[in-house]
Amino acid sequence: MAEALGARAENAVPRAPVLRGHHDFPEISGRISAVVLQGRLPRFFWAAFFVCFVFVLLFLYSITYLISVGVGAYGINIPVAWGTMISSFVWWIGIGHAGTLISAVLLLLRQPWRASINRFAEAMTLFAVAMAGLYPILHLGRPWFFYWLLPLPNTHMHWPQWRSPLVWDFSAIATYATVSLLFWYMGLLPDLGVLRDRAMSRAGQLFYGILALGWRGSAFHWARYRTVYFLMAALATPLVVSVHSIVALDFTFAIAPGYYSTIFPPYFVAGALLSGFAMVLTIAIPLRWAFAVEDLITLRHMENAAKLMIAAGMIVVYGYASEAFFAWYSGQPYERAMMAQRAVGPYAPLFWVMLFCNCIVLQLLWLRRVRLNMPILFSIALIINIGMWLERYVIVVTGPSRGYLPSSWGEQSLTWLDYGILFGSLGTFFALVFLFIRILPAITIFEVEELVEEKGGGA
Amino acid sequence: MSLHGVIAAFADPEALTQAARAMRDKGYRRMDAFSPFEVRGLAQILGMPRTRMPWAVLAGGMAGGLLVYALILYSVEIDYPVNVGGRPLHSWPPFTVIAFEAAILGAALAGFVAMLWANGLPRYHHPVFNAKTFTYARGGKFYLLIEAADPKYRKGLTKGQLTRLGAETVEEVEA
Repeated sequence: MAEALGARAENAVPRAPVLRGHHDFPEISGRISAVVLQGRLPRFFWAAFFVCFVFVLLFLYSITYLISVGVGAYGINIPVAWGTMISSFVWWIGIGHAGTLISAVLLLLRQPWRASINRFAEAMTLFAVAMAGLYPILHLGRPWFFYWLLPLPNTHMHWPQWRSPLVWDFSAIATYATVSLLFWYMGLLPDLGVLRDRAMSRAGQLFYGILALGWRGSAFHWARYRTVYFLMAALATPLVVSVHSIVALDFTFAIAPGYYSTIFPPYFVAGALLSGFAMVLTIAIPLRWAFAVEDLITLRHMENAAKLMIAAGMIVVYGYASEAFFAWYSGQPYERAMMAQRAVGPYAPLFWVMLFCNCIVLQLLWLRRVRLNMPILFSIALIINIGMWLERYVIVVTGPSRGYLPSSWGEQSLTWLDYGILFGSLGTFFALVFLFIRILPAITIFEVEELVEEKGGGA
Repeated sequence: MSLHGVIAAFADPEALTQAARAMRDKGYRRMDAFSPFEVRGLAQILGMPRTRMPWAVLAGGMAGGLLVYALILYSVEIDYPVNVGGRPLHSWPPFTVIAFEAAILGAALAGFVAMLWANGLPRYHHPVFNAKTFTYARGGKFYLLIEAADPKYRKGLTKGQLTRLGAETVEEVEA
């Protein structure tokens, strides 16, 4: 019965297949590893990498300036002591979450379409978390003391404040980064074995040989590997939810209008997924086109990511609505004034642009024609990336700018350093993605081969 | 020059599974199989007991969570108690947050290390790489290895049996 229903649903809407065309195993492993081993990448690849590298230099310069001059060099001031550093932090960590969702949740749900996009989604997670982790540390003011957040024996005889969300944040981000790295590396092991055996140069054999840890594809190894891989996915799923909930608690623990809201943890998680899937599409659409892997990363992947975007996006829209509703329903004059200040206050233009990006533009994804049109989908993904950054910025700055006392109201201004660090981190992120594509297989070889086998197209 | 065993290549996972089952029925116990991706159920046919990996992950998670919770408890109750208006020192709800993160971290680390440990990895070399017909990378082949240490192993006999099971190539592997 269920099967018959499934078959009918398939017939009603002819979906793009997960893999297109006929493949065999040597072709898959050869094609994917050739990108890495032959290293003949198109000229525009290096041109784009060069552009990113300029931004890496900007990032390094900005960080050096920030550390030598102090946090006063960027736009924060009293009363708005949290600025772009915190909003960019939340934005980056959110982007990371979609990668974990693709690699872990879709693995647990046994969705075959994850196979060709999980590797670079995990890499995206890793680099996004690396960027995110820098922000709160740079925001500390004296970044070289960041290790005071760790319970280390020291001459000060002090302990971290365990009841502080900042300390939770540190433990959550550190755990998330470590577990993401382990999960990613573990997924890479079998493919590193392929690269080791296919590498022609001595340097390549040594490099991939050491990283592959002697993997040889033994049936006993596979059985243990699969068990642990599934368990790690099962661990990563609640971890993602906890990480972004803790990030939301950074705000809700402050008893300030605009921060103090119980809807924040779930709505932050949904926002994370929305921006994360937007970033997956931002990377995947050029990637599949540039490397001509449109038969491995198919329209099905793109469409499913777009569907997940609209699912997460509608939860975000609901979050906005309930935030406004509860501000009104609470009857608290301060909460109501806060909401009104968002809509008509000094940050109102950002607020309306954010609503336009995240609520209005998002609705286009209901149309199948839009989901299957790559240039339009790419533009929507970019718009939502911008909208989600603005959302975090609006949340971060409007709260402190309009406190309880009108005498202590004030705004923050953005300096060149705000832009330098934001765009510098974007450039560094993409430079890392480029290096990853050059050095490691961006598509999981063994899982795509398994997919080919299940499809019955094997050699 | 000692002998590690004999390795046979098969064209697809089904042929490998059938061959493994047939060789097991003939009484062979010291076997291994190699494939570019996991062939479901093959490890059980080769006589692998139920894996204990989940226990390692559970133990790692418990250890991580409990140790960090104990550390927090030690710091607030014994090493540095701060009385803030008579509020309880052991205010457990915020402590569970960090303990939860530590539990996840411990479980993931334990799982990864246990997987490598049980698999005997990292390993510099393995005799199977001596076989000329063995290649993990090309992806299209599925291998069955019978170790020379198997009590049932007889040089010509074992090779013949593998050929009759449909092996494409059969090769002796030096240790």
